[in-house]
Amino acid sequence: MADTAEVATAAGSKDPSVGLRAVRSLRVLVERLEVLQVQNARDQGWTWEQIAQLLGVTRQAVHKKYAGGRGPLRRKD
Amino acid sequence: MFERFTREAREVVVGAQHEARVLHSPTIGTEHLLLALLRQQTPSAAVLIRHGLTPEEVAADVVRFTGSADLDADALTSVGIDLDAVRSTVEAAFGPGALDDPKQKAARNGHLPLTPRAKKVLELSLREAIAMRSRSITDGHIALGLLREGEGLAMKVLHDRGVDPVNLRQDLGLVLNS
Repeated sequence: MADTAEVATAAGSKDPSVGLRAVRSLRVLVERLEVLQVQNARDQGWTWEQIAQLLGVTRQAVHKKYAGGRGPLRRKD
Repeated sequence: MFERFTREAREVVVGAQHEARVLHSPTIGTEHLLLALLRQQTPSAAVLIRHGLTPEEVAADVVRFTGSADLDADALTSVGIDLDAVRSTVEAAFGPGALDDPKQKAARNGHLPLTPRAKKVLELSLREAIAMRSRSITDGHIALGLLREGEGLAMKVLHDRGVDPVNLRQDLGLVLNS
């Protein structure tokens, strides 16, 4: 594992191939965490409205992304 | 067309699917065909290797050009995030594999589709075989198809590694005709 100084140096790196890969990976990480957290909130009986509010998006946005059609959290009934 | 493929040629197509999966690609591209070709133990693969291509280096090139569609621990370290720490925290709450790619999980058993360019390469391999009056399509003909198609990531890798396509085509032709 890189030590703190190494990480700091890399974070300051201006090499786009490092920086852009980091951004992409962060986006993937955010997406995966969002699916988990939305799923968990629904399991605990949260409404789309409540979820949307905390995610800072509209109810329609979160509903469309997770409840509609072929999304991972679509209703199974 | 596939009924005319030799065992080695079929192995290249199946191998390309494996390569795509390992690199977390949703499709099979020319670069995966090239990687699968390089892993064969055939005279044609030997020609490719003689021209300075190794599977390890080509795989590294591919990742460099396309990035990884999966979580990239090294890249995350560069912005101060320890992916292992994130993973173990998330798994503690949501169970093992919670952070794995949901799409990858679904695709693990299904077949990945060929990109239009990779499909074109396989079609061209048939034409190469016909032009050489070969009754079957071998892995060498797929290599010629890659060169004939002339574009795509496989060709970019070849170009960047300084491989001369004309020379390579000649050498492949020699072993295929012998």
